[in-house]
Amino acid sequence: MSKIEINHLTVDYTEKKKSFTALKDVSFSIEEGEFVSIIGSSGCGKSTLLSILEGINTPTDGEILIDGEPIKGTGADRGVVFQHYSLFPWMTARENVAFGVRQVNHSASRSERLKIADEFLQKVGLEQFKNKYPSQLSGGMQQRVAIARALAMDTDILLMDEPFGAIDAKNRTILQELLLELWEGDGSKARKTVVFVTHDIDESILLSDRIVMMTANPGQVYREINVPFDRPRNRAQLVQTKEYNQFRNRLLALFYSDIADKIGGEEVVL
Amino acid sequence: MTVKQRYLRVVHALFIVFLLIQFLPDRLVTDTYAGYAIWFAVGIEVLTLIVSALIKKPVSLNLFVDIVGFVYGLLIAWTLATAKFSVLKPALFPPPGKVFRQFIEDYDKILINIQSSIGIILQGYLLAIVIAVPLGLFLGWSARLGSAATYIAKFLGAIPPIVYIPYGIALLPTFRSVSVFVIFLATFWPVLGGTMSGVMNVDKKTIDSAKVLNVHPFTMLFSIMLPASLQQIFIGCNQGLTVSFVLLTSAEMIGAQSGLGYYIKNYSDFGDYTRTIVGLIVVGIVIVIISFIFNRIQKFLLRWKT
Repeated sequence: MSKIEINHLTVDYTEKKKSFTALKDVSFSIEEGEFVSIIGSSGCGKSTLLSILEGINTPTDGEILIDGEPIKGTGADRGVVFQHYSLFPWMTARENVAFGVRQVNHSASRSERLKIADEFLQKVGLEQFKNKYPSQLSGGMQQRVAIARALAMDTDILLMDEPFGAIDAKNRTILQELLLELWEGDGSKARKTVVFVTHDIDESILLSDRIVMMTANPGQVYREINVPFDRPRNRAQLVQTKEYNQFRNRLLALFYSDIADKIGGEEVVL
Repeated sequence: MTVKQRYLRVVHALFIVFLLIQFLPDRLVTDTYAGYAIWFAVGIEVLTLIVSALIKKPVSLNLFVDIVGFVYGLLIAWTLATAKFSVLKPALFPPPGKVFRQFIEDYDKILINIQSSIGIILQGYLLAIVIAVPLGLFLGWSARLGSAATYIAKFLGAIPPIVYIPYGIALLPTFRSVSVFVIFLATFWPVLGGTMSGVMNVDKKTIDSAKVLNVHPFTMLFSIMLPASLQQIFIGCNQGLTVSFVLLTSAEMIGAQSGLGYYIKNYSDFGDYTRTIVGLIVVGIVIVIISFIFNRIQKFLLRWKT
């Protein structure tokens, strides 16, 4: 049994009397401990798909099973990192993480929660900033806190919706490596199942075991591609190999052939 | 700041001018109690020097000495217009010394009246906040009830609370309970409205962030919606506080046997305008202090905002 099974998922939106299909008959599954990236141009429904996984959106048709059970709303088995506003601005970094811990671990005392928060803030390199409010932190630091919170909650599944999409290039690289390091771990603990939405091909190759490429109008799965590189991965070494570049070019070709199809097709109609 | 910047100020010259004009001959037949005015000015001057020595930012010092400058200017004009040249009618415009003397003489009485007024305000005001905030959170959060309740709150909030007074008098046994009731209403509607609009305007992304943490509904309301709508709640609280003071002092002038409004009304009925002016100044001071405390609380609770 797969950890996550997505079965014939369809989502229709009606906006101003115009109906629009965000997802159409999307099916694939994700194994336990697998890192899967969902990639696609904007409007392909990747974020809609993730919002259903998060439990804040419901599909028009189809269902998602986690451990064989259909999703009913949000759940303590899934940790989420958004692109923006994951953190509560009135809580310090430490309180934000501790608040997350509290939602999954009601029995922990306040001091225990704060201890866990400190531990994870240290892991993301923010121990000096733990008493700062989000407004006092840079975008990259805020995302570190959000990751620390998701990890501190110790959920089986981690859902990330373009978490580094709004971060400058240099910090994005650093954060990707940090996430990779934290997720790969030292082998002492089972890896978490991660669903990672992005539009950055390099990011998806570096991080994932498998890439699900989606196509827009309507949102459908275009290709599923296994990433053939061994772990632990090292960006600096990986990007220099011939295999990496071949693989990357293949992905890019797929990515743009899809977009070219769409644009070309519509231009003909016009 | 250099010593020159700190202490070489026009405001100190104004203080000296104020002392010097005391040497002009009095035009009033009655005692002007100039000594009290001088002691008052000396008090302000000492305070100014202490603040000048301690304050860190030049901008804040400028602001402070400018305010003190206005006070001196007013004192000088007041002294000249009353005690020294008797331009104004002595019965209606007592000289400053007389007012300060009266203030010191009535100190105990004033304190009791302040206590009475603030006691009533706090009771009605806090009761309104304690009920309106949770109710507003709940109504704002519940989409259907919320939109209906917004209209109800707008309608009931539009009725000036002062018109409830006659009905309140019929309903309730004492002046105090009527006052508390009216202040409660004056605060309740703006705070309820503020809380509801705050909750309804919370960013959807913030709500989603809380939802994916799978928070309990109680936590959602009090740990998420409450802080997220705090700014709007404060707008309601602020409005309630302003209206409460207007209402209470008005009500005290109509039917009370205590309170600051009563103090002013009572003595002006007896033609004692010295005490009337004392009352006016005290009301001003009390409101300024309460607003200051209120702003401090607001700043502290919203310290996470940029």
